[in-house]
Amino acid sequence: MALYNFKKIMVVPTAKDFIDITLSKTQRKTPTVIHKHYQIHRIRHFYMRKVKFTQQNYHDRLSQILTDFPKLDDVHPFYADLMNVLYDKDHFKLALGQINIAKNLIDNVAKDYVRLMKYGDSLYRCKQLKRAALGRMCTILKRQKQSLEYLEQVRQHLSRLPTIDPNTRTLLLCGYPNVGKSSFINKVTRADVEVQPYAFTTKSLFVGHMDYKYLRWQVVDTPGILDHPLEERNTIEMQAITALAHLRAAVLYVMDVSEQCGHALSQQLELFNNIRPLFANKPLIVMANKCDVRKISELSEENQACDRLLAHRVDTKMKTKKVHDVLNRLHLAVPTKRDQKARPPFIPEGALLRRKAMEMDAPKRKLERDLEVELGDDYTLDLQKYWDLMNPEEKQDKIPEVWEGHNIADYIDPEIMKRLEDLEREEELREKAGEYDSEEESEDEEMQEIRQLASQIREKRKLKILTSKEKDTQGPRMPRTAKKVERATLEKEMADLGLDMTDKDDSHYALRSRSLVRKRKREVSAPPTSRTRSQSASRPPRDQSGVRDAKMLKKVKTMMKSSQKEMNRQGRKGESDRHVFDVKPKHLLAGKRKSGSTSRR
Amino acid sequence: MRIEKCYFCSAPVYPGHGMMFVRNDCKVFRFCRSKCHKNFKKKRNPRKTRWTKAFRKSAGKELTLDNSLEFEKRRNIPVKYNRELWSKTVEAMKKVESIKNKRQARFILNRLKSGKELEKAAAISEVKKNIHLIRAPHAGQAKQLEDKMVQKLAEDVEMDE
Repeated sequence: MALYNFKKIMVVPTAKDFIDITLSKTQRKTPTVIHKHYQIHRIRHFYMRKVKFTQQNYHDRLSQILTDFPKLDDVHPFYADLMNVLYDKDHFKLALGQINIAKNLIDNVAKDYVRLMKYGDSLYRCKQLKRAALGRMCTILKRQKQSLEYLEQVRQHLSRLPTIDPNTRTLLLCGYPNVGKSSFINKVTRADVEVQPYAFTTKSLFVGHMDYKYLRWQVVDTPGILDHPLEERNTIEMQAITALAHLRAAVLYVMDVSEQCGHALSQQLELFNNIRPLFANKPLIVMANKCDVRKISELSEENQACDRLLAHRVDTKMKTKKVHDVLNRLHLAVPTKRDQKARPPFIPEGALLRRKAMEMDAPKRKLERDLEVELGDDYTLDLQKYWDLMNPEEKQDKIPEVWEGHNIADYIDPEIMKRLEDLEREEELREKAGEYDSEEESEDEEMQEIRQLASQIREKRKLKILTSKEKDTQGPRMPRTAKKVERATLEKEMADLGLDMTDKDDSHYALRSRSLVRKRKREVSAPPTSRTRSQSASRPPRDQSGVRDAKMLKKVKTMMKSSQKEMNRQGRKGESDRHVFDVKPKHLLAGKRKSGSTSRR
Repeated sequence: MRIEKCYFCSAPVYPGHGMMFVRNDCKVFRFCRSKCHKNFKKKRNPRKTRWTKAFRKSAGKELTLDNSLEFEKRRNIPVKYNRELWSKTVEAMKKVESIKNKRQARFILNRLKSGKELEKAAAISEVKKNIHLIRAPHAGQAKQLEDKMVQKLAEDVEMDE
């Protein structure tokens, strides 16, 4: 939980760095090319992606910060108190709260701008929206500069805190400054705490580890405590007090007998009495230190008062640590006897029998392996014989599992027959009610005729549509009267529609009469006056003028076609058409000079 | 051996067929073929994909609420084997199946009945509107006129006489 992760908290970047990192990441990781002529949904998506990407990054990093930093309520109260002492709980919570708010604000900004961007109708507008969104997000973050700085410092300090496990065996050294606590820990563990003649050399908690009776013990060295009330204590002393208050440890109160620390024995005793409430429920040892300087026996009467307390001389680790066995107490609770009846512990019969059987060799039952060996090749592993069924003779049945795509196990129900009966009854009722009668209404003749006509109409329409689709729509649209209609088709069409077209020779559309009319008209009109008109009547068509015979005609035609072929191949509309469809064909100009001849582009 | 249902199209997945996908939250998805699997990966909703049974049931195109459908249910408590119960169950299954098929067919038939009425109405309106494509309006009228004239002449002649 929080104990080991103090070292794994992610670095909290400064506000400026944070902004730089995220923006440059957006620049690198999202596509950058966009043009004005792209489709608007593509432009929108491009810019929305950038906004969302930035928002995502900020969100992720801020969330990580929030989760990495320990919640003061979740960690061990020792650490919570220690952090309160060192970093001020309120400031810490406030900083994290600000970060949380910033995260939410950034999310909201992104949401709003993405929503707005859906209505952006040009590249410029979308781009401005994106700029606005990113700008706002970065401004939000710039305002968090102080919080981020504070959190970075907290992180650095946190990672350097000594790893004190509040739940393991611990010895806690406390006492006045300069009495010899750090020297003691240096001697007893591999820790290397600074020891100096001035007071308050040790300014924070230090941990060392030592082995005793094949167990690991933590030894915690604290800064010295001076004798004044709790409210007046500074941060350094508060650390010691916190350790004393929360760690379930054996307390070693160190006293300097020689008064080299600068405080009289009475003062040290005074301090001891003051902090005594902190020693509740903890095994206590008073250490009289620096006895080489001044022997206990040399103490004056008033000082011998200390002897009332357990005063041990510190010589080697072995002796002092015997007391810590008390931490490993085991206690067997036995109910108090309320009457004379003996109530021994209860051992079930099966256990007793088994114990007896274990003592003598019970005859073994026949194992599966024995059976296998007996039967040899005929042996099959038949697990069905162990089944516990209601009728044991059914044990060797092959159980059906599937029928026609349905699992039989899905239908198994003790009440299935009853339900089936209900269902069948219901079905009978339905059949009686006539639900399953096939209603084949024979339609009357009129309806049938209508249907037939309708199908004919539909067919006719489809044919018309098809013919109109096949029409050649190139060229100018000529009115219908320009085309000559064959008499036969006209008569056939009208006959299909039901009209009688049998005797129509003298109708107005029959051709022969028209030709007669035309001839009459010719006689009446004046002869052609201009020469061109007469000449045009008699002139041969252009592709036949000057051509002597069929052989020449053939040659002329092939010449015409071959000269046209080149134009057709080039797809040119005429001689002056110099349009090039593909000036820079990609397959010739792009790519590396890989295979093929590389002598030219 | 169990015949599972495909998650996407609700088709039966026989053993040895299809694919099974297990998600991080331990939910298992079985697919009968890669078509369903690919659609699932595309995050398509089976209730909106028209060819699946889920769509058909949710859109009311197939029978959903019926007693005969209540027989087939996934039961989580296994029942001990009992020959008589099993054989009765198999027979019951067959009967239930036949009833179920009948009812499903009847449901679909009823659904399609209204279409027939619409067809009739459409045919009538088609004929009314577009009869001119196959019948000229005055198709037999020339003959009728002639007949009438002939009749009138005959009458006149009679009257004259």
